[in-house]
Amino acid sequence: MTAGDRGGDWVVEFRDVDKWYGAHHALRGVTLGVARGERVAVCGPSGSGKSTLIRCVNGLERHQAGIIRVDGIELDAAGRALATVRRRTGMVFQSFNLFPHLTVLDNLTVGPIFAAGEPAASAEARARMLLDRVGIADQQAKYPGQLSGGQQQRVAIARALMAEPTVMLFDEPTSSLDPERVQEVLTVMEELAHGGMTMIVVTHEMAFMRRVADLVVFMDQGEIVEAAPPELFFTRPGTDRARAFLGQVMHL
Amino acid sequence: MATLSCRSFAKTSDGAPPRLPPPVARGPVGWLRRNLLASPFDAAVTLLLALAIAWFVPRAFAWALTDAVFWAPDGAACRGAAGACWAVIGEKYRLILFGTYPYEEQWRGAVVVAIFVAMIGFSAIGGISVRVKLAAWALASVATLVLLLGGVFGLSPVRTHLWGGLPLTIVIFVSTVAGGLPLAVLLALGRQSTMPAIRAISVGVIEVVRGLPLIAVLFVASLVFPLFVPPELQVDKLIRAIIGMIIFFGAYAAEIVRGGLQAIPAGQHEAAKALGLGYGLRMRLVVLPQALALVVPALLNDIIRAFKNTTFVAILGLFDVLGAAKVALEDPVWVRYAPEVYIFVFILYLLFCLAFSRQGMAVERRLAVRRR
Repeated sequence: MTAGDRGGDWVVEFRDVDKWYGAHHALRGVTLGVARGERVAVCGPSGSGKSTLIRCVNGLERHQAGIIRVDGIELDAAGRALATVRRRTGMVFQSFNLFPHLTVLDNLTVGPIFAAGEPAASAEARARMLLDRVGIADQQAKYPGQLSGGQQQRVAIARALMAEPTVMLFDEPTSSLDPERVQEVLTVMEELAHGGMTMIVVTHEMAFMRRVADLVVFMDQGEIVEAAPPELFFTRPGTDRARAFLGQVMHL
Repeated sequence: MATLSCRSFAKTSDGAPPRLPPPVARGPVGWLRRNLLASPFDAAVTLLLALAIAWFVPRAFAWALTDAVFWAPDGAACRGAAGACWAVIGEKYRLILFGTYPYEEQWRGAVVVAIFVAMIGFSAIGGISVRVKLAAWALASVATLVLLLGGVFGLSPVRTHLWGGLPLTIVIFVSTVAGGLPLAVLLALGRQSTMPAIRAISVGVIEVVRGLPLIAVLFVASLVFPLFVPPELQVDKLIRAIIGMIIFFGAYAAEIVRGGLQAIPAGQHEAAKALGLGYGLRMRLVVLPQALALVVPALLNDIIRAFKNTTFVAILGLFDVLGAAKVALEDPVWVRYAPEVYIFVFILYLLFCLAFSRQGMAVERRLAVRRR
């Protein structure tokens, strides 16, 4: 059940990817394929490389060896493909990273208008529809600082969706939320998943992974230690490292 | 209640109505008690200050108003006066305000001052986009140059070496800020650049210029620079002075802007990158608006200083308000009344600087709305 070489329609493809921070080997020969319309959840202890992995997909971190392809486009060392790849990926961050000096509506439209040259009127119309979809249509004129964390993260999801990406990247999207705000964000993500969106989600939300993920990838010390469907991973983890991790997380 | 096994406790409460806070002494008496007489030490300080004020204020009042002479066409009435001789202002205000600008054309300078004051007021109005304000400033600058230079619309031409007084101060100040702020942003971005050559040049300019006194920069601009440039490439003295002021202002403000840039979290850069915004757009739309908003108070400090630094051009033989005031005092009839003239100039500077800081506070308030 590992991500083997079956050939196919990979939206995101990693082949023997290595990444170092100085002398620290952060990603060790990572190979992974995310099929169109599927959800891959990535979990593991802190410092395991899961954030580095997801940030390599849209080139926020650059890998030093191996091949990364997004929608068939290879991320080359010179960074020529970066702009194209970033327009096809949407990213949601742990700390939301909304632009505090722009209104909610402008946060959504700034990318399409300035990076993609979309007319303001059509960008705003799409932005209103997306805000409606994530349940915050009435907040569009506010500034991010006036919203709760859950609302901010839903705005961030809508902002990432504006580019109509082929894959959505979630880097611990609920980790900095108050506990009572987590579910509203997970609900939006589940709706997205049911709509057929290809997603990579770095998360510790076990229940969410069980409901939504097609494949759970467990990382430790820069390696993919285990990759299995959630029902298998949570009930019969194949490695001691995964068992130890699950033991710690489940007993929270 | 169940018996607790621990000694810690908490009192429970169910549905107690909210109560008012404890009363504070109100009215003038309460204010006096809180602010002036809160302790024996406070009371002693209050008493001492009251005595000092009681001694100083009547004397200042008598000098400035009751014993002062306001009208003395030939200066004779001022000779025996015990108080101030404000007549010197009435006699010399045209020279102080407009310097050596041709006397019959000084209304043009007055219009320039009026435009500037109106623009300060206009800029403080909320709800007008920055773009409109910048366009208005550009328009006002063109109008100022046309008015002062002349040569068109039937205005007689006036060479820049005749410019003086408040209009000259305003021209130098506005040019310094208008040229210096963009330079500051470029130097600050350059200092953070990943390209070594650009970083080295930026650091070099900032460190060298910061290490020089403004007077030295102006001397280089006005005296040294012409030695190395062939005569046909010589630039107007005023323009050289302004370029010197711009570089000086830019180098200082660059470090302030850099402070703002460094305060922007990495997440903002990353979110902008993830949206596909390239370097230029990222800086213009995401990073600089936030960075500059953070450093408004510090930048305002530099802007006010730039207004006061215009007085340094006097050493180049350009007569700003202070320089023109000195010239006015060379008249032997009025030379004794320097304190009155300097107080007048002082009040003039104070009024402008207060206007700038009000302006800055208005900007800060508007920006504060966006943050929490």
